[in-house]
Amino acid sequence: MAQPTLTFPRPVFAKLSPHPFLLRSLCPQSESDPAGRTNGRAPREARSINIHTSSLSHAHGSAVIRTGDTTVICGVRAEVLPVASIPQFRPRAAFEEETETSKRAELKNYDLLVPNIELATGCAPQFLPGVPPTALAQTLSTRVYSLLHGSGMVDVEDLRIWKRQKKEGEMEVDEDGEEEREEQELVGYWVLYVDLLFVSFDGNPFDAAWTAVVAALKDTKLPVARWDTEREAVVCSRESRPLKVRGLPVACSAAVFLEKEYGEPGEGRHWILLDPDRLEETLCREVITMVVDCSSGETRIRAIEKQGGTVVGRELLRGFAGVAEQRWKEVSKAMQ
Amino acid sequence: MPATREPEADLSVLPKADGSARYSYAGYTVTGSVNGPIEAQRRDEHAYEAHVDVIVRPAAGVGGTRERHLETTLQSSLTQLILVKNFPRSLIQIVLQVESAPENDYVNTKLVQASLNFAIIPALLQTAVLALLSAAVPMRATATSAIVAVVSQDGASELVADPSPREVEAAQSVHVLAFTSQDELLLAESEGDFTVKEWDDVYDTAKRICCQSGATKGESIEMVLDEKGDNGPDMRQFLRSTLETKVVADLYWK
Repeated sequence: MAQPTLTFPRPVFAKLSPHPFLLRSLCPQSESDPAGRTNGRAPREARSINIHTSSLSHAHGSAVIRTGDTTVICGVRAEVLPVASIPQFRPRAAFEEETETSKRAELKNYDLLVPNIELATGCAPQFLPGVPPTALAQTLSTRVYSLLHGSGMVDVEDLRIWKRQKKEGEMEVDEDGEEEREEQELVGYWVLYVDLLFVSFDGNPFDAAWTAVVAALKDTKLPVARWDTEREAVVCSRESRPLKVRGLPVACSAAVFLEKEYGEPGEGRHWILLDPDRLEETLCREVITMVVDCSSGETRIRAIEKQGGTVVGRELLRGFAGVAEQRWKEVSKAMQ
Repeated sequence: MPATREPEADLSVLPKADGSARYSYAGYTVTGSVNGPIEAQRRDEHAYEAHVDVIVRPAAGVGGTRERHLETTLQSSLTQLILVKNFPRSLIQIVLQVESAPENDYVNTKLVQASLNFAIIPALLQTAVLALLSAAVPMRATATSAIVAVVSQDGASELVADPSPREVEAAQSVHVLAFTSQDELLLAESEGDFTVKEWDDVYDTAKRICCQSGATKGESIEMVLDEKGDNGPDMRQFLRSTLETKVVADLYWK
C-alpha cells in the first residue's frame, strides 16, 4: 500500500513555506519538470515591459509602465519658478564659465527636479492606509532623485526662462553674439515635478519607477515661455517644444536566492534571479541594481547598488554588466 | 575642524549604552551607540533571528529621505555581519549620530537634502562596527569601508581616496565599497559615469585600503614610501589596533 502523502496545491504551498517552494522549483526534478522560477521564468529572464505615454491629459508628460504585475504611473508637471522667489539666488557672473558641474549644481541648488514616489494603499498587502511614507518609498525616492541629478539627463538650459530685450534699431542686426547675450536676463526656471504612483506592486520597484521617469521625461513638452514686459510676468504660448533628454539610462535589478534559508551566508548554492517579483524579493537579502546607458555606443555604467550579502563579488558584478546591457536593449526597444 | 589625516576612534564613550564608539576621519565625526540584544517590539519581532534597527541622525535638523536610505543600506549590511540567528525574537539597536561633516564653502548648504550622501557611508559603517565590537555583539566578521572618487584632470582620470566634498561634486564617479574581514565584497554603491574597467581599478584601490593586513606590514611600508603615501590608511589594521589599545587599557589592573 502506498504511503499516504500530504499534498497541497501550489498557492497553499507558496503561502505556507515560501522558501522551500521557490527552492523546489529552481532545482530540476526530472526531465519532464524543468527547473525554473515559480513565476515560470528562467533565472536570467526579465519580465517584458509595456510602455504607454501621454495618457494623462493635464500633465506635461506622462507614462504608464507595466512589467508583469508591477504597474507605475509617472506624471511630469512643469511649474514656473520666478528667480525672485528663490532664496539665495545667485546669478551667474559673466566671467564664470558654464561647466557641466555648474549646470548640475544649478539644478540641484534650486530644486528644479522634484521626484516623489507614492506606494499607494492596496498596490500590495504590506502597504497600509493612513501611515507615513514607508522606508521603501523614501529610499526609492532618494535613489530616483540622485540618479535624475547624477545622470545629467535634463539640461538646465532647457528649463531657463529668459527676458529678451531688443533695443530699437538693432532688431535685425545680430552680428555679435556677445552683445546679444548681454541683453537677455534670467527671470525664472521651469521646475519639473515628477510624481510616481505605484498602481500595483509586484517586486522590482526601482527598475519600473526609473523606466517610468525616463519615458515620462522623453514625452514631456514644455510650453514656450517668455517674459512679458508690459505685464511684468512670465507668459506661456500655446505652442510647446519637447524637452531634450540626453541618454537613456536603464536600471536592471536582480536578487540573490540562497539555498539555505537560515544557514550561514556563503554556504550552499545560490541563484541570481533577474527582475525579482514580490515573493522572490521577500526571500532574498542580497540585491544588486546596475544602471547602464548604451546609447552612445559603448556601455557606460551610471550607478551600481549592491548590498545585503557577500555572494556577488567582483566577477559576478562584472558579468552582471552584460546582463544589464541585454536589458538595456529590451527597454530601449520598448521605448520606441 | 580640519580634516584628520589618520582615522581616530574612541571606544565605550557613552556610559549607559551597551557599547559605543566615536570615530572621526576625513572631516566626519560620528558617535554610535549599540544596545542589544534587547526585547523587540511586537511588529519587529522575527521568530528565527534578531532584528537589526539602525537609526541615523544628521548633524543638524531631523532625518529625511536620505537618512532613510542610509539606514536601509547599513541595516542590510550589518545584518550580514551580526550573528542574528543567535538571538531570535530580539532587537539590536544601533544609533549613529553625526557630529560633524566636512564643510563645503563652494555650495549653498541646505539643511534638508534629498540626494544620496555617499561620502558619509564609510564613517557610519566604521562607527557601527566599532560600536558593535564595543558592545560585544557576536559577529561573523567585521567590515571596513572606503570611498574612492574618479576625478578627471586634464583629460586623464585619477583615483582619489577619501575625496573632499568639493572633489565629490566635481568627480566623474564616486564609489563606496565595503569588505568583510574575509575579503568578501559586502557593499558596493557607485554613482556617476564610468565603465567596467574603471570600476575594476576602483575595486583594487578600495580593496587595498580596506583589506591590507598586518601580516604584510613590512611590504606595505615600502609601498607607502614608494607611492608618496597616498594609498590611504590601512583600515583593517586601524580596527585591530584600536581594539588592542582598548583591551590593553581595560586589562591594565591584571
